[in-house]
Amino acid sequence: MTTTQETRWIGVSAPRREDAPLIRGRGRYIADIEPAGTVHMAILRSPYAHARINGIDTAAAEALDGVYCVLTAADLEGIGDFPTIWRLPGQKESNTPALAPGKARYVGEPVAAVVADSRYMAEDALDLLDVDYEILDHVVDVEAALADGAPVINEDLGDNTIIEYTFPGINALGVAGDIDGAFEEADEIVSGRFKVGRYSGVALETRGLVAEWDDLRQTLTLHSGSQVASLLRTELAAALGIPETSVRILTPNIGGAFGNQWDRYPEDILVSLASMKLGRPVKWIEDRREALQATVHGREQLQEWQLAASSDGTVLGLKGRVLSDQGAHLHSVGIGPAWVTGAAAVNQYKIANYHCDVVGVATNKTPNSTFRGFGGPEAMFGIERMMDKTARRLGIDPAELRRRNMIQADEFPYFSPGGAVYDSGNYPAALAKALEAVEYDKVREEQQSLREQGVYRGIGIASYIHVSGFGPSAILGILDYYTGGYEGSTVKIDPHGRATLYTGMIPMGQGTETTLAQVAADQLEIDIANVRVVWGDTDQTPYTGFGSAGSRSNVAAVAVIKAIEEIKAKAVRIGAGLLEADPDDVAYADGRISVKGAEEMRSLTLADVAQQAYWAHKLPEGEQPTLEATYVYDPANFTTACGTHVAVVDVDIDTGKIDWVKYVVVDDAGTIINPLLVEGQIQGALSNGLGGAMLEEFVYDEETGQLLSSTLMDYLVPSFTDLPDFEIHHLVTPSPHTEGGFKGMGEAGCFPAAPALANAVADALSHLGVEVDQTPVTPSRLWSLIDQAGG
Amino acid sequence: MAETMSVVLNVNGAGRSVSVEPRKTLADAIREDLGLTGTHLGCEHGVCGACTVLMDGEVVRSCLMLAVQAGGAEITTIEGIGAGDDLHPMQRAFSEYHGLQCGFCTPGMILAGIDVVSRNPDPSPQEIREEMGGNICRCTGYQKIVESVQAAAAIMSTEGGSA
Amino acid sequence: MKPAVFDYSAPESIAETVDLLAEHGSGAKVLAGGQSLVPMLNFRLARPAHLIDVNGVDELSYISANGALRIGSMTRLTALGESGDVARAHPIIPAAVAQIGHRAIRNRGTIGGSLAHNDPAAELPAVLMALDAEVTARSADGERVVGMQELIEDRLFETTLGDTELLTEIRIPAAAAGSSFGFREFARRHGDFALAGVAAVITTDGSTITQAALAAFGGTHATRLPTAEAALVGAETGDAAFAAAGAGAAADFPSTSDVHGTADYRSHLINVLTVRALQDAAGNSGGGNG
Repeated sequence: MTTTQETRWIGVSAPRREDAPLIRGRGRYIADIEPAGTVHMAILRSPYAHARINGIDTAAAEALDGVYCVLTAADLEGIGDFPTIWRLPGQKESNTPALAPGKARYVGEPVAAVVADSRYMAEDALDLLDVDYEILDHVVDVEAALADGAPVINEDLGDNTIIEYTFPGINALGVAGDIDGAFEEADEIVSGRFKVGRYSGVALETRGLVAEWDDLRQTLTLHSGSQVASLLRTELAAALGIPETSVRILTPNIGGAFGNQWDRYPEDILVSLASMKLGRPVKWIEDRREALQATVHGREQLQEWQLAASSDGTVLGLKGRVLSDQGAHLHSVGIGPAWVTGAAAVNQYKIANYHCDVVGVATNKTPNSTFRGFGGPEAMFGIERMMDKTARRLGIDPAELRRRNMIQADEFPYFSPGGAVYDSGNYPAALAKALEAVEYDKVREEQQSLREQGVYRGIGIASYIHVSGFGPSAILGILDYYTGGYEGSTVKIDPHGRATLYTGMIPMGQGTETTLAQVAADQLEIDIANVRVVWGDTDQTPYTGFGSAGSRSNVAAVAVIKAIEEIKAKAVRIGAGLLEADPDDVAYADGRISVKGAEEMRSLTLADVAQQAYWAHKLPEGEQPTLEATYVYDPANFTTACGTHVAVVDVDIDTGKIDWVKYVVVDDAGTIINPLLVEGQIQGALSNGLGGAMLEEFVYDEETGQLLSSTLMDYLVPSFTDLPDFEIHHLVTPSPHTEGGFKGMGEAGCFPAAPALANAVADALSHLGVEVDQTPVTPSRLWSLIDQAGG
Repeated sequence: MAETMSVVLNVNGAGRSVSVEPRKTLADAIREDLGLTGTHLGCEHGVCGACTVLMDGEVVRSCLMLAVQAGGAEITTIEGIGAGDDLHPMQRAFSEYHGLQCGFCTPGMILAGIDVVSRNPDPSPQEIREEMGGNICRCTGYQKIVESVQAAAAIMSTEGGSA
Repeated sequence: MKPAVFDYSAPESIAETVDLLAEHGSGAKVLAGGQSLVPMLNFRLARPAHLIDVNGVDELSYISANGALRIGSMTRLTALGESGDVARAHPIIPAAVAQIGHRAIRNRGTIGGSLAHNDPAAELPAVLMALDAEVTARSADGERVVGMQELIEDRLFETTLGDTELLTEIRIPAAAAGSSFGFREFARRHGDFALAGVAAVITTDGSTITQAALAAFGGTHATRLPTAEAALVGAETGDAAFAAAGAGAAADFPSTSDVHGTADYRSHLINVLTVRALQDAAGNSGGGNG
């Protein structure tokens, strides 16, 4: 049964099919999965930042009623660890071990695991583990870690420098710019030193796993919230030393991932090993303290930039050094985010001469890895603060300075000296639209009159690019990124004409299921209700090179389009045979297969053709039965979403409190599939970005190396009253790099959030000369800046 | 294993006797002993609101109560909202206004939203933001939750629909 | 994050409760609203051998406004904040209660629990100090009355009550005629524990301040602010007196640093908040965050 209808689904705010169970409490998250016979794991974590483990006495824990086993590093003989998949030239190998091998290197590092009848009992057993720790000197600051005589976190690496990587600023002609010349020629040289705070996704659902070893079939099923199940399957099998064909990853609802779930984690190995050892299901649900200590952190960088400008505001050159605080081990993506910072820092501007050194530094902290934005927001913070500092120095309006330096709409594709090819966009138009929406001239006037009344209002502009849709795979290869950039899609039409779409994408709240169903319904020209989307089972779904990320639906959508093109072509060939017409005279339209010009008389529904395809009684010569196709799409190149945000705030100079006045977003993510969901993604990403700009921070105590932010009383996430209403406008510049013109957009909102806020606050306090160069901008920090400036 | 105690939990209109250790939280008992997994655990220290349930009509954190304390109280979880296929206006509004993404905070948000509207039938966006501040969402940035609650309040004032 | 094993009792009377306390002594912990204790149990930061749950002791839950205001220790914060009797007698109390946590926390949290837990950033110990409240403590040996300052001294997360004593009632003397209040706190988010906060009750004879009671929270412990009070009593209401009180408050404040702010910042905040609270009191307006 195929209903034909007029609706085009792309561009429609279709309600989400994901919602129905979730609003009734019938979602199925990891913690809700409990196969018969499940036993529960709890993990002992290092209470010290740096300590040798001289021994672990497990006897008392093992003797406790209801305890099944205790795992220590000694039990991991023959078990591998997960490789860092991004292995830049010169990067030292520093994989994250499953259990601290002889030495714990950060607070929260797994030291031992216990399996018992219940989580309560497993925690009782943890209390009975007796670890002989020898406390070592620690270091939790990047500069201190690089200093002579610093404690060495990983002796095998020699020192705490994991990699020094240089962006030489190569232009479209393949030659490096003249960075020294640019600085010699400059009228003004502006410097900035920025501390981008350490924070992370802190999804509301903590991580969790249920491993089921099936002795009968000799297979391991792992229920996991991984965003990239294919890669987890490959790497888990390798680490455990079992065939990949024996591993199945099942993904239920995910309660937020934000990039953190892109990584592989020690616990993936621990629960699997315990299940194989015990022959029964083993479940581990991370608690909140563990989530803050042991799920990867993100962002933290110390950046130093110098910008060479001529007096008319032309940016002649930009050079910088980025120290990335990687924590104790390299996690799944190595220093990838910091590399992206170096690649993206020139942003929307024509900066011919560019040089950037990126240094990955080990410290006694939680590994710093994948988090929504992936180095981009860090880059935007540095460059957008530099643009405002430069504007202030030159006495040019910050909007005008940006306008003068932007890449123009007719200059695409643009070869950035950061190494990326920007596909399309209209940066000046987005800026203009944002200024118009915020009523820039009026707000500037009000700012003056309010200041006379003691109200300190500030306006912060931040423009951004977001390089998304990582691919093609060949470029990832050049970047030493050991995974592919493709996405696969299988589409099967059943004998009744309904479609089932199999995707390697993992929905984690962004509405992937609905979005892909919209694309499929549009291509097949059938009702969206007749499209089912299958995801989250590596036994059924295509291998994904890159997995789900906030900005991958654009690539997956093309795989769907391409697979359906093949299906339609086959339906036309089969239909032509049935209609006794030449295939060239038959077309697929409106969900039907019809002879052109005789649509009323000689026409079949998709169901008619599908039924015949399954009966296979009258197929054309050489045609295979059934109606299905698989397409694996490797994108032609990255896409670059872009836009401008403007924040307007009032600052209470007596308390350092920041109050929202307005927040305007203009974004350009190419063709939009579902406007309602796009708005949701922008608002959500903004909440991640502004959270890190104002509230969220993993604070380490220099003296003790302890993570001080290990509860949600100390690690503050934004609540209802901390965020403004966002006013969102769109520009649509379709990408020439993807079929359909889609660009990745799920992360873009967090890119300009922090610099927009910081620029607004600095602008509010311009009379004091306050510069806001550290995130989060807490009231205490801000008051201290005001106080030092004599305010 | 420590000694267990018997307690009758009246949840969503049905009473069930469970045998639990005194240390077991109400949230764990609802999830594990009653199998009602719509009540979520996001922090287990009373900050996030994912475990919100109604107790005698008032919002409480089920992670901050022991199961043995709940005997005699009428508890409503997300599974008790809406009758069968007939969704509560708050549930419909969350879907229609995209007030949820990953859905993990949603049961608590819906219960908190119902609580707010029960005390203030026509809340302003600012009132909603202040009253619901005890429930955290990491996905939406809250704007669409505020819109959802406002829309639900409007529907509830015409069609009714208390918990 | 699951509690360690404990034994559990749920007495139904004060007499039964104090007997249990006498029996179990320092190994026992009283469970009131649980909004602070249960997180500590979940983190295993508190590991009592015996938990005495007083939620079933109905005689601890009341508000009586005959003469001095008397409040049973198990009175929930929602009831406290919504009580007309309390608002009429001491409007600073509902103003402060509105700043405590969120609705779900206030529905369970109790006035007695807040005092006994004595978080240095909590509102009620300071507010009740400024109101010269007293508490009654019952044990198997009898009852005694303890003033707020004697209860708190310079302690944090504990009080001067003994292991076998149960906090049963809070008594607040009637407000002086012509008194007004200001309540200000600064928290990073709505509903969070404050970085600093001040409760101020002043009485004037029209223009001169005749009495001043100020107490601060958010430092190392709740405390009265004697230097600030001294700067006010006898002074004319107005900016000069308020500024002097602000400076005095900063001098009195036992400031401290943590992830949310430095000691210098908090001392500065107390100064600012004291001035603002006094301006509110002078203008008879309420107060709030910031």
